[in-house]
This record gives sequence, C-alpha cells and structure tokens, in this order.
Amino acid sequence: MEWLSFFEKGLWFGFAALGFAILFNVPPRTLFIIWLLAACGGLTKLYMIHLGVSVLLASLGGSSIIGILSIQAAHNKHAPPLVFSIPAVIPMVPGVFAYQAILGLITLAGNPSAPNYSQTIAKTISNGLNALFILLSLAVGVAIPMLITRRNSVKHIKIGKRK
Amino acid sequence: MKDKGDHDVNEVGAMLLEVGTLLMSSGATTSRVRNTVSRISEAFGYNTDMLITNRAITLSINDENDQHLFNSVKRTSPHGVNFKIVSGISRMSWRVVNEKWTLEQINNELDRLTSLPHYPRLLILALVSLAGASFCRLFGGDIPEMLVAFLATFAGLFVRQESTRMEFNPYLCVFFASLTASLISGLFRKLGVGTTMEHAFTASVLFLIPGVPLINSFSDLIDGNILNGMVRGINGVIIAFAIALGLLTAMVIYRF
Repeated sequence: MEWLSFFEKGLWFGFAALGFAILFNVPPRTLFIIWLLAACGGLTKLYMIHLGVSVLLASLGGSSIIGILSIQAAHNKHAPPLVFSIPAVIPMVPGVFAYQAILGLITLAGNPSAPNYSQTIAKTISNGLNALFILLSLAVGVAIPMLITRRNSVKHIKIGKRK
Repeated sequence: MKDKGDHDVNEVGAMLLEVGTLLMSSGATTSRVRNTVSRISEAFGYNTDMLITNRAITLSINDENDQHLFNSVKRTSPHGVNFKIVSGISRMSWRVVNEKWTLEQINNELDRLTSLPHYPRLLILALVSLAGASFCRLFGGDIPEMLVAFLATFAGLFVRQESTRMEFNPYLCVFFASLTASLISGLFRKLGVGTTMEHAFTASVLFLIPGVPLINSFSDLIDGNILNGMVRGINGVIIAFAIALGLLTAMVIYRF
C-alpha cells in the first residue's frame, strides 16, 4: 500500500466533514476536532478494507471509532457528542453505491427484453442493499458508543461539565 | 431548589417550551430534548411531562404535591439544523442546575443563542464546495474532476439557499439544487472535457445527503422513541428521493 496516497485520503475525509460542519453551523471551537475525527474514522475504514474486511464492517469500524472519540471530544470541548459525530461520519456515506443503484433502477425502467436485463437486476439489488446497509452501519457505529457511555457515565459527564 | 415566590409558573412553562422546540428544530434527538427540559424544570422544583413530536411539543407542569400548574402546546419552528443552538442549550442547562440561574438569565441566554450569527455565506459556499471536491477525490477523481465537483456544488448550494429564501417547499429546494449541480457537472461530462467526469457527477449532489435526519432517526429508534424515529427516517428518505429525482432529470436531459 502507498502510504502517501493513503494519508492524503485522510486529508480529504477531513475536508468533506468540515463542509458539513459549516453547513450545520457547529461552534467554531469544534471545527478542528471534527476534521481530525473524520480523518481518523475514514482512515480506519480504508485500513480495514486494505486488510480484506468487507466495506460494511469497515464502515462500522470507522464510524464506531468516530462515535467513541466524539465522547472524549464532548468532554474536552463542552459540546454534545452528536455535534462531532454527525459531520465526521458523513464522508463515509456510500455515494457511489447509491448512485449506481439509481442508475440501475433507471435502466430497469427501460426495455425489459434487453439482453442483459437480469444481470442489471442483480447489480442494482446488490448496489442498493450495499448502500442501505452501509448507511445503517454508520448510524449504528455512531449511536451505540453514545448510548453505552451515556448510561454508564452520567455522573462522569456531570463532573466534566461542572468545571 | 428555588423559592417559588420569585417567578411565575407560566413564564417558566413558556421558557421550557421554547427550549424544547428550539432543540427539536435544531437537530437534537428526542431523548436529548426530554432530558434537557426535565433537567431545567427540576432546577426550578417542578415535575414536567412531555409529549414530543416532530412538529409540536405538549408540556404539562406539576409541583411536588401533584398539583396541576401549567399546560400548553408549542409548534416547532421549521428552521434548519443548527448545532450552535444544540450545544449552547446543553451547556446552559448544566449552568442552570449548578449556578442556580434565574428565569431572566435563561431567557437572555436563549435570546443570545438564537441571535448568534451563522458563518458568512461565502465561507459556507466555499467550504461546502470543498467538501464536494473532497468527495470527488475520495471516489478516485483527479484535479480537473475535483474542480468540476467544486463548481457544481457551489452552484447547487447557491440555488438551494436562494430557493429556501423564496420559501419553496423544502423537498423542492433539494430537487432544484440536485438538478442544478448535476446539470453543471453533467455538462462537463457530456462535453468530454478531460477524463470521464463520472466521479464529479456523483460527488456533485452529495452535499445534499440528509445525514442529520437519518442518523437522528436511528438514534431515536434505539432510544425507544419509535414514532419520532420513523418520522425522521421518512423525512430523510423523501430528501434522498428528491436528490435522485434531480439526478435522474439531468440524466434524461443529457441522455446518459
């Protein structure tokens, strides 16, 4: 693997998240952390794919990292975890799969007696399901660490906020 | 706990509803709205019960003798996602508890939070377009493609902002934006400038993806607020559908 192009992608994950952070009007003090979280999550996902893990599990891994780190960031920067995790996870959204699925659906609306019609059905279903499941795994990855730690450390969060 | 003599329960109720509806329309999850409002009302010594829906919040206040004191409904305003308000109210609610804020202090803080400026428009346009270019790069595009994605996103977001200002239906705004972005990136693809431009075409509409509705939908579903989760999820799906429709229209026009 080429490490230079690998880390360059981290840069772009960060900038993609930054755009959404600005769109969602996050407090300025959180911007750099969001950039960092997105880069960490994105690189985790890419590295897992490099190790041969499926895209689905890799997305879950990347978004879980973001979910866990966002709780720490929430303590340090005094903002709710979702302010960090939602913009940071958006660069991992399966845009290409969704696009291919829509493309497939349009083709399917055309002539049903075309020679490769059944092949298009198979591709479209696969792309659509991939897009759906990756989206779900992103939501799970972000939500589950938040839900778990919220229950276990309500007191801790309280102490952190008291400063 | 505060002495009940120094504030009117109607004013406290109005303030709590304001907090709840602000949070709800700024993109907080249902459980966050409930926790925050309960936290503030407990600081004033009241028990609060709420029915939280996407478009309105019903709230009723009782004191510790179960005496009924206040009951009202407030509509949530249709403002977009604003994490400055979510984060500001969250911080405020802890200071209300720990520093024993008065009602007046809370109302002043709420006024301050709602009047906080957004980022400058040009900065929003530039950074969101940079995000579009970043998406393009992540999909494997090269520099000319990134430039096209930047341009298309810029135009798309501009159209969305303008159509939102003209108070079109929000889903229609998304459709206009998606159509504009894909028409511009599609034009470069049609003309065959440089490489294939397919990555730019895909990336140019991604700034519209309904990230907050979809992720909040899931959080609500997990928390057991099934109804709100479903409402948010369907909202997200309709937005996604509007994006696809814009993309599709551009493809029909260009015969891709």
